[in-house]
Amino acid sequence: MRNAWIAIVCVLLLDGSLCAQQPKPSEYQVKAVYLYNFGRFITWPANPDSKELKSFPICVLGQDPFGPALDTTLASESLDHKPIVIRRISKPQDSTECRILFIHSSASNQLKEILSALDHLAILTVSDMADFSKRGGMIQFVLEGEKVRFEVNLANTENANLTLSSELLKVARVVRRNDKSGD
Amino acid sequence: MFGTKTISISRKLTLMNMLVSGTALVLACLAFIVFDVISFREARMRNLSTQAQVIASNTVSALLFDDSQSAHNTLSALQAAPNILSAEIFLPDDQLFASYSRDPSWQSQPPLALKQGQAESSWTENEQMLLVRKIEVDGKTIATVFIRSDMKDLHRRFLRYVLIAGIVLAASLLATLLLSSFVRRAVAQPIIDLSDVAKAVSKDKNYSVRATSTRGPTEVSILFDAFNEMLGQIQSNEIELRNARDTLEQHVIERTAELAAANKELEAFSYSVSHDLRAPLRGIDGFSQALIEDYGDRLDPTGIDYLKRVRSATQHMSHLIDDLLNLSQLTRTEMRREKVDLSALAQTIAEGLQREDPARSVEFVIARHLSIQGDAPLLRIVMVNLIGNAWKYSSAHAHSRIEFGTTQYQNRPAYFVRDDGAGFDPRYADRLFGAFQRLHATNEFPGTGIGLATVQRIILRHGGQVWAEGAIERGATFYFTL
Repeated sequence: MRNAWIAIVCVLLLDGSLCAQQPKPSEYQVKAVYLYNFGRFITWPANPDSKELKSFPICVLGQDPFGPALDTTLASESLDHKPIVIRRISKPQDSTECRILFIHSSASNQLKEILSALDHLAILTVSDMADFSKRGGMIQFVLEGEKVRFEVNLANTENANLTLSSELLKVARVVRRNDKSGD
Repeated sequence: MFGTKTISISRKLTLMNMLVSGTALVLACLAFIVFDVISFREARMRNLSTQAQVIASNTVSALLFDDSQSAHNTLSALQAAPNILSAEIFLPDDQLFASYSRDPSWQSQPPLALKQGQAESSWTENEQMLLVRKIEVDGKTIATVFIRSDMKDLHRRFLRYVLIAGIVLAASLLATLLLSSFVRRAVAQPIIDLSDVAKAVSKDKNYSVRATSTRGPTEVSILFDAFNEMLGQIQSNEIELRNARDTLEQHVIERTAELAAANKELEAFSYSVSHDLRAPLRGIDGFSQALIEDYGDRLDPTGIDYLKRVRSATQHMSHLIDDLLNLSQLTRTEMRREKVDLSALAQTIAEGLQREDPARSVEFVIARHLSIQGDAPLLRIVMVNLIGNAWKYSSAHAHSRIEFGTTQYQNRPAYFVRDDGAGFDPRYADRLFGAFQRLHATNEFPGTGIGLATVQRIILRHGGQVWAEGAIERGATFYFTL
C-alpha cells in the first residue's frame, strides 16, 4: 500500500527523487508531501492589508527535520497557482508571509509564544509535537503504525480564517472543535 | 343465437376486429417496451456515470493521504444502490486501493485501461453494466474507479412489462369480443338478412319477395336497393318469358292442327286419286280395247291408231297414279335398318335389265362388297331408279358403260352410279330431284318424272344426301351418302 501511494504521488509530483527512492519513503518525505496536499484542501482568505504574494511560502520554524526532503519533493511544485518556496526561519515573527508553518517538536516549550505571535494570521500551523492540536495548533501529525495520519483542530483554523475542505476532514483521524484545554 | 350461415360472417368480423386490434396492441406494446428498455438502460448508464463521478471526487483526499479506509467508507455508501455489484479504485499501476462488493467472494479484476484523453468508458458484459472512470487531480490521473452494475432489475422490469402487455392484450381482446357483437348487429345482420332473402328466392323461385333494411351503413342500403331492383327485373323478365312461351305454345297448337288438317286432305286426295281417278281410267282403257276388239274391222287404220294412242295415254296416266301413290306411301311406311349388300343389289338389277333388252350393248362395272346399313326395300327402290335411269338415258348410244362404286365425300363414304349417256345441263341440276320435273321430253326418254324425287325422299329419310354431276351428252353421275 505504501508503494501504491508513491505511485499517486509520483504522478502528481514532477520531481523524480521520491519515486527514485522506492520502495520505502521516509516518514518526513511523506510528511513533506502531506504539507503540499494540505494546501490543496485549504482555502486562504484574500489578504487586503498585505501586498499580493508572488509565491506560496512553506516555512519551517526552528530545527528542520525534513532534511533535503522538503526541497527535493516540493521545490518545483506550486499551490494556489503560485510556485512553492521553502523558507527556514528561527523567530515566529518572521513567519508573517508564510502560508504553511511547520513547527519542530523541539519548540514545544515556546509554543504558546509562537502561537500568540501568529494569532489571527492566516497561517496553517502544522507540527508533530504531542498534543499540538490540543494546545492551539491546527494540524498535528500522528503515526498509526507506519502510516502518517493527522489530527485537526477546527477552532484554531477558523480563528485564522482558514477554510478546510470536508474532504480533508474526512481523512483526518481526529477533528477537534473547542478543545483549548492544552493552552 | 344465429343460424349456421350467420356464424361465418359474424365470426369473420369478430376475428378481423380481434386481429386488427391485437396486432396494433402487440406492435404498440412492443414499441413501448423496446423504448422503455432502451431508455431505462440509458438512465442506468447515466446513473452509473454519476455515481462514478461522485466516488471520484469523494476519494481524492483519501488517495492523496493514502487513506484506503476512507475510500472504502466512500465506496461502502453504494450499499444504498442495490443494483451495484461492486466498485473498486485502482491505482495507476493497477493495484487495488479500495474496493466494495455486494458479493464477498468477488475477486477484483483491474479493468481495461482507458485511452488517452478518455475520461470514462462503459460497456455491458455477461448481463452486467460496467463503467470505468478516471480520478483526476490537476488534470492528472491518480486512479480509476471501476463499477459493475447488475441488469437483473432490467430483466425483471422487462418481464413485468411483458406481463402487463399480456394482460392488456387479453383484456383488449375480450373487450373487442364484447364490442364485436355491436358491430355484428350493425354490419353483419343486414347482410345476413339479405342472404336469407336470396336463399328463399333461389329455393322457391319466388321473385316477388323484397329485402327490407332500415339500418346498416349506406353501402348496405345500396346493396339492398340493387338486389331488390335485380329481383324486380328478374320478375318482369320471367313474366315476359312466360307470356312468350304461352303464345308460342298456342301458335304450335294452331299450326299442328293446321298441318293435321292438311295431311288429312292429302290423304283424302290420295285416296280419291287411287280409287276415283283410276275407275274412269279403267273405263276409258277398257272401252278403247273393246272398240278395237269388237269394232276394229269397221275402223280404218287411222281410227285404230287413235284408239291405241288413247290406250297408251291412259296406261301412262295409270303409271303416274301408281308412282304418286308409291311416293306418298314412302313417307308412311316404317323404316327397318339392316345390312344391305348394295353390290349384290346392283348386280341383280343389271342382270334384270339385260334380260329385258338383250339387244343392247351395255358394260356394267360394279364394285364388289359394298354394304350399308339401311332399309332393304327402300334402298332397292333407290338402286332400281338410279341404275334404271342410267340404263334409260344411255339407250341412245350404241355402246354404253354403267358403273356403280364408292368414293369419299367429306370423310364419309359416298356411293355413285355413273353412265356415259345423254347427261344433263348442269344449270338445271337442282331441278332433277323435283317431282314431275323432267329435263327430257317423254317421247325422247319415257318416264313419269317421279323416280329421282322418290330417291331423294328415301335418302333424306336415311339422313343422307343425294346430288348429281353431269353435262349434256357426257353422261351423268348420281352420288348418295347415308
